[in-house]
Amino acid sequence: MPDAVAALNPSDRLRRMFRDPLLLSILIILWALLALFIVYPLASLLIRTFTDEGRFSLAGVFGILADPMQRQALWNSLLLGTLVGLCGTALGFLFAYTAVRTNLSKGWVFFLDAAVILPLISPPFTTAIAMIFSFGPRGLITYDLLGLTSVSVYGLPSTLFSETITFFPIAYLTLKAILAGIDPTVEDMAFSLGSSRWRVFRTVTLPLTVPGIANAFLLLFAASLADFATPLILAGNSFPILPTQAYLQITGMFDLKGGAVLSFVLLVPAFAVFLLQRFWVSRKYYVTITGKAGAKTEIKSVRPWMRHLLLAVCLLISVSILYFYVLLFYASIVKAFGADFTITWKHYHVVFTEGLQAIRDTLIIAGIGMPLGGIYSVVMGYVVCKKDFVSRRTMEIVSMINYSLPGTIVGIAYLLVFNDPPLMLAGTAVIIIACYVFRYGPTGIRTTVAILQQIDPSIEEGSSSLGASSGTTFRRITLPLILPAFFAGLGVVFIRSMTAISATIFLISINWTLITVRILEKMTELELGVAAAFSILVVVIVFAVIGAISLFLRLFRQPGAPDMANILGG
Amino acid sequence: MEAVRIRLEQIQKTFVHRIKGEVTAVDNVSLEVAPGEFLTLLGPSGCGKTTTLRMIAGFERPDRGRVFIGHEDVTDLMANQRNIGFVFQNYALFPHLSVFENVAYGLKVQGKTSVNIDREVARVLELVGLSGYGRQFPHQLSGGEQQRVALARAVVIEPRVLLFDEPLSNLDAKLRVYMRGEIRRLQKALAITAVYVTHDQEEAMAISDHIAVMNEGRIVQIGTAEELYLKPRDAFVAQFIGRINTLSAEVLALQGGMVSISLLGRAFELAAPPDNLTAGGKIHVFIRPEAVTLTRKTGGDLLLGVVTERTFLGEKADYLLTMGDDRLSATAYDPLRHGTFAVGEKVGVGIEPGVIHILKERGQ
Ligand SMILES: Nc1ncnc2c1ncn2[C@@H]1O[C@H](COP(=O)(O)OP(=O)(O)O)[C@@H](O)[C@H]1O
Ligand SMILES: [Mg+2]
Repeated sequence: MPDAVAALNPSDRLRRMFRDPLLLSILIILWALLALFIVYPLASLLIRTFTDEGRFSLAGVFGILADPMQRQALWNSLLLGTLVGLCGTALGFLFAYTAVRTNLSKGWVFFLDAAVILPLISPPFTTAIAMIFSFGPRGLITYDLLGLTSVSVYGLPSTLFSETITFFPIAYLTLKAILAGIDPTVEDMAFSLGSSRWRVFRTVTLPLTVPGIANAFLLLFAASLADFATPLILAGNSFPILPTQAYLQITGMFDLKGGAVLSFVLLVPAFAVFLLQRFWVSRKYYVTITGKAGAKTEIKSVRPWMRHLLLAVCLLISVSILYFYVLLFYASIVKAFGADFTITWKHYHVVFTEGLQAIRDTLIIAGIGMPLGGIYSVVMGYVVCKKDFVSRRTMEIVSMINYSLPGTIVGIAYLLVFNDPPLMLAGTAVIIIACYVFRYGPTGIRTTVAILQQIDPSIEEGSSSLGASSGTTFRRITLPLILPAFFAGLGVVFIRSMTAISATIFLISINWTLITVRILEKMTELELGVAAAFSILVVVIVFAVIGAISLFLRLFRQPGAPDMANILGG
Repeated sequence: MEAVRIRLEQIQKTFVHRIKGEVTAVDNVSLEVAPGEFLTLLGPSGCGKTTTLRMIAGFERPDRGRVFIGHEDVTDLMANQRNIGFVFQNYALFPHLSVFENVAYGLKVQGKTSVNIDREVARVLELVGLSGYGRQFPHQLSGGEQQRVALARAVVIEPRVLLFDEPLSNLDAKLRVYMRGEIRRLQKALAITAVYVTHDQEEAMAISDHIAVMNEGRIVQIGTAEELYLKPRDAFVAQFIGRINTLSAEVLALQGGMVSISLLGRAFELAAPPDNLTAGGKIHVFIRPEAVTLTRKTGGDLLLGVVTERTFLGEKADYLLTMGDDRLSATAYDPLRHGTFAVGEKVGVGIEPGVIHILKERGQ
């Protein structure tokens, strides 16, 4: 984070903090929240992992590592993460390159964007359900089309495929921004020096994108490592992975300690990725994005046939994604997919009767989490970016922790600490809301910081020179400018409240349940039609909310206002 | 409103720079700007112009020294209490407000009624030639138009002083010349004391009543454009204002307020030398290219030179001459009338003793 504020020495900073009572009280509140909902649960998880009857012990970790099944799960998780990272980054690069480097018309870019955003906003299991409908024992493709009866959809290949489709949009958005930022004149320059197209790609375009590729890989690796929903359905017994093992340890064997240890094993690679991203990739990152949009010169990077080939591949994949969603919808309106294709509304009837509580609970939780998430994002982003105080960097890093960790870890950590007095929050909506706000608020924090960094300090000085006090300047200038970040933070918390499951599956109760959990239940009860109907409902609600937020963002359009799609990718 | 005086008394500002360590951006600067005067701070990049201006505005507080606006000591006042108009290099327009709202902003802060605000904004927008632009947003305007909005926004609050930080540096050359005329006209019409920062000597000479030349955090010389050009205080000012030849010379003798030197293989008698010369010492002397005369004739009082480069620029021609071991730039005006010299041609070079400057060197 660049220092927007002049560096003061620590004692000056302390003195200044105490002279500003408003700031001081905000800092105390923020630190109390971070301590309660991030530091304390995580610390408890570590303590639980490394103690035995009150004494330090590595027995728990060694116990897990001695179990071949769990060792296999660790290895599988790393393997899956690496493969998804590689495949997803390749696919994302292909899409991004096609979208911004081949002179595609606006319509085509819009189509690609639309197809790619679907997996980002879908509830979990969506691709998994569609996979089963397509490739399962009675699958549309395997059974109806190819007549195969003895194929298994479960295992590494289908999990890999499903996760790649689910997560490659993250790589797409990351790489698209970078590729679009490469000034075509730089490529022109290389052409003018006599390079061939392929050589320009190899020696100019690709090297400029390398930090972005590394970043995309890490993001996908982390996403796959954390993913719980897809493997739960598709991985099967032969391909155990850590998050599902931890879940089964707790829900199946009621072994909280075993779950804690497993999630610690998961934490190690996740934390390594966090560090790599923060201190290695992000440093190189800013070098490439110096991007002022340069002179509009025609992009000449690819030959026409190459362009058609790229577009064809992207279309094929986009169409398969759309096919998945059409299939999902179709499955939600027929009696029993694969057996009885009579049109019926009975699945939706179940959704709106038996499932009503889950819908109501989810909407209440999302509705309360939404404004809280927005406010938290903006306040935290403003404070860490604009104020100079002791522990500023620490605060910024701590605020990102829950966001960076796999949901399973966060869920188990919350379960550990909020299950007993004095913080008996388990079973309440509070715990679920807190989980979402602190886990997904960081997207809004980052957006706030990004916007604040773009606001030149002279804009605020301009206001001051016109006689405005610092309060007026904040109210009239700074606040309206960071409003988009508020909506971003709020939108992401809402969407994730509708679609996330990995952390909150540990936190639901009889009183408070979630749509995503109902989808899982229906899947295990093999009521796939109802699961599909629930999924369609979530997609529709999320689309409506994104539409509303995009509209708001457009109303407040200004230099620096981010795109909703890009926010979801971050 | 009555124009006011600006006075800086020995102000000093040191920054802690992350790479360079402690940097004294402004070093013991004292300055007085008379009521209604247009003063320019001129100097190379990094010499402390912006910092000085920001201390007048109140964005920066001097470590030492006082700032006065009018009779009031404003050193301890914040920028929003000083009643100044500031025009930023990047204009710093509020991106989410329309042109009208940008200009009206300061008036709203003052709590003016909306009738008054409408009237004032309309008047000022007309003054800067932007009537009818009120509903546009900054990003819809060209650079020159944004610049004028910035100007309107600064003057509408009837500030006591107007401050400009390189306001024209983002504009193209033609527009820059036009806008500097506009700024000067506006300042005169409003009769406001103004301080203007630039690194462009031509701009400074065109726009200012007085110019303060700065170098390394200090003011080296203050004067009108003419004074700085004709009587530069030291080598730095001479080199910064206009162009000048730097030549090696030797002091032959000193007597009775005169000095004789050996320059380009010939002896010259000059008046009033600075005091630290000694006979036999090596010195540098300075001659402006346009003070050198060139003729086809050779011999007599004239020195001999050979043309090695020629640049024809229409109203003038620049030459680089080789004279023994020395090289000399010369400018001849009106080449249409007087003809030009070809590369390789031998020319007579006339240098009057009066155009030779002996100056303090940099850092002396
Ligand atoms: N906020 C700051 N922090 C650290 N150093 C600064 C800051 N502002 C200016 N400086 C330093 O002070 C010196 C003078 O800067 P400035 O007044 O901006 O020069 P000018 O406007 O003449 O180009 C430079 O060396 C610059 O690096
Ligand atoms: Mg400057």
